[in-house]
Amino acid sequence: MKRKIKILFKMPMIIVFIIILLFFTPFAIYSPGENRNRGVVTALGIDRVEDEYEISLLTFIPTANQSYQEKSSVISGKGSSVAEAIYNAQIAMGRSVGLAHAKTTVVNEKLLEEDVAASIDYLSRVASLPENTVFVCTNKTAKEMLENSQDLVNDLGLKLEQVIGYNANNLYVTDTSLEAFYKGYFSPTKSSLIGYLTIEDEENKSNENSEISSPQNSGSDQNQGTQSSGGSGATNGNPSHIVNQGQAVLLKSGKKVAVLNIDQLNGINILNPKSVNQIITVDGIEKNGQTISLQYKIKTKKTLVSSKFENGYPIYIAQLVLGVELVEVDGVEDSLKVNTEFSEVTKEIAEKIELQIKRQFTDSINILRECNTDVLGIARQFFFHNRKEFMKFLDGIGGEEAVDKFIDYVTFKLNMVVQPD
Amino acid sequence: MKKISVRQCGMIIVMCIFANKILLMPSLMYQQTSADSIFVLITLFLLDFVMLPIFIKLKESYPDKKLYDILKDKLGVVITKIIYIAMLCFFFFKCLLVFSVTYVYFKQQIYQDEFIFMALIAFLPVINHAVISGVRAFSRTIELFFGVVIAGFIVCLVISLFTPISTPDFFISSGKEFFSALYNHIFAFGDFIILFLIMDRIEIKKGQAKRLYFYSIFAMILVVILFYLFYAKYQITAFMHNNALADLLVFSVQFNAIGRLDIIAMLTIMFITLFQMEIFNYAFCDCFVNIFPLLNKNYSIVVFDILFCILYYVFIGRYETMVTSALFWLPYLAIVINYLLPIVLLVILIIRRRKIEKKDKNLV
Repeated sequence: MKRKIKILFKMPMIIVFIIILLFFTPFAIYSPGENRNRGVVTALGIDRVEDEYEISLLTFIPTANQSYQEKSSVISGKGSSVAEAIYNAQIAMGRSVGLAHAKTTVVNEKLLEEDVAASIDYLSRVASLPENTVFVCTNKTAKEMLENSQDLVNDLGLKLEQVIGYNANNLYVTDTSLEAFYKGYFSPTKSSLIGYLTIEDEENKSNENSEISSPQNSGSDQNQGTQSSGGSGATNGNPSHIVNQGQAVLLKSGKKVAVLNIDQLNGINILNPKSVNQIITVDGIEKNGQTISLQYKIKTKKTLVSSKFENGYPIYIAQLVLGVELVEVDGVEDSLKVNTEFSEVTKEIAEKIELQIKRQFTDSINILRECNTDVLGIARQFFFHNRKEFMKFLDGIGGEEAVDKFIDYVTFKLNMVVQPD
Repeated sequence: MKKISVRQCGMIIVMCIFANKILLMPSLMYQQTSADSIFVLITLFLLDFVMLPIFIKLKESYPDKKLYDILKDKLGVVITKIIYIAMLCFFFFKCLLVFSVTYVYFKQQIYQDEFIFMALIAFLPVINHAVISGVRAFSRTIELFFGVVIAGFIVCLVISLFTPISTPDFFISSGKEFFSALYNHIFAFGDFIILFLIMDRIEIKKGQAKRLYFYSIFAMILVVILFYLFYAKYQITAFMHNNALADLLVFSVQFNAIGRLDIIAMLTIMFITLFQMEIFNYAFCDCFVNIFPLLNKNYSIVVFDILFCILYYVFIGRYETMVTSALFWLPYLAIVINYLLPIVLLVILIIRRRKIEKKDKNLV
């Protein structure tokens, strides 16, 4: 034994190891579980209520159960700043807030009337909030949005970030994460785009193109073919629903300047090769003496963008090759319905599709021009490829400060080839 | 004395090249020189790289001699001790900076609250043990985990390719900004100095020296790629992201569904930090033992631990102070160690060569 102790003392690291074990083991055994002290926040909502901020936390509190169902609840706190409101929400929850799993941040529209970056400053400083958290705006309160999202999860297993994630992948030029917002916010043109989900009361839902609603109160919805799930989170007592119409909010210096609808977003995205599946309706096609309308879907898209200065003026040229597929015939032309292989794009059809897309694109550019925003990165394209001329041109229109007005002077040339996919 | 192989030596170099460059530095540099920071990085790497042939020549000229003995013979004891004191401070602050940056990273990622006590208990005994065991022992540990570390590093780089990236905007910053960035970030470089300190413990057989070049270039390329991908991914918001290697894995709505991929970065950074601290602690202790020859390695470790805890807790270790020091006054020290010392060694080599040539002539 004595010899063994001597050997032990010859190896001081073993003694250090034993001391560490002796010191920390009791702590580890007697310390309470982390879930007793910390609430896991999966979504965060910020509202401006009069002069105060109201923070709503969609919180998952881990508890033992046999149903494997996550139990979440919305806990809110108010304060003169976001930090204070979160502190008060912590007190209400009886746990400290863990933001590392927060995948969605919702703000209400009112907050976007002023520079929203000031309101979310706390979130950008708190490093534990992941930057890939989806940043969404809603027409009502963020609290209502989170309450409704709970029903979505319970009834459909659909999470808010998944709903907006579809838009991010298919509709928006960039994704709508907090990071993407900051990228736009700190860019020279200070323009960004964030997702927009609306909450509609039961009474108003018939006006909407698409919604996500609940089975328990939507028997008729199923007959209409809409996706069904829950919604009862309205604070005014009426059942309400989250409606995703693929809209987005255009921001300039963190302030809302426009809400873009799906057509306008499609127009902005026309140069985005990732954005496909858009439906184009071609009306007034004459076939065997009858007038029909055809619905085409954009299946593939190839884009080639270039820029140059001509006579000192910027020209933005985009070559677009669209692969389209006929997906629906609206009319009484039987041969087309029978011959499903009819996907040939005639010259007339191609011209009409081209015209429609160009119109959409022009509308979107006009909005961007009106709002002095550049979410397409037009100025960056010129800076990157024609730097000397670009800087000279900027000097002529008022220096670097006027970079957001640059888009007004750009001539867009859209060359398109429409072909069957 | 048991020596380390060129392969192990190369791996030590790789760890040193990663030191203080893979977390905070890309973001700090971006604030000064935007994406042109890549050119700052490459310039500093090139300046560093000049040290490698000097080391190899020195090693060829004095195969079994310690750096201390070489300097003592040529410059005298007093100047040698002054140089060693400078090197002691250099490695100590490097170690402190590595720990500070990594500690803040882990605090953000895992604990959120202060856990300095735990971090010190986790790190110090391990690095102390590595130093006591000697350069051969910890270089073998590095050799064992080297594949894992490099795989983790490359995975972080590759995953970033699955998120939207675009070429960063180059040639934005002015010459003044470029040169001030060069100065501000010098302290994070000088990675080859460690080779001079352990030169008597490295065994370089004929023709093996080129492997050192290979490892050095390999590590430098990885760091340059990291910088490029980081700037390509974050662009204008790069200044907001303080943990480059880990941040390459996050920020993507697509990866939201997978969960916290950054665990890969965490493990990689943990190993890299541990090895870097072992190397710098060893360098500190080696300098200490040469400055105070009457005290042995154990004393040097105790001194290191005490200084480390005191300075971390009381003064330097505060993150902001540490980073500001590394940018503003530690570069003075770095200029001496990174550039003046190799120049002195180069002069020693040239003088020696001339003497030999003279001798040869006299013999003829």
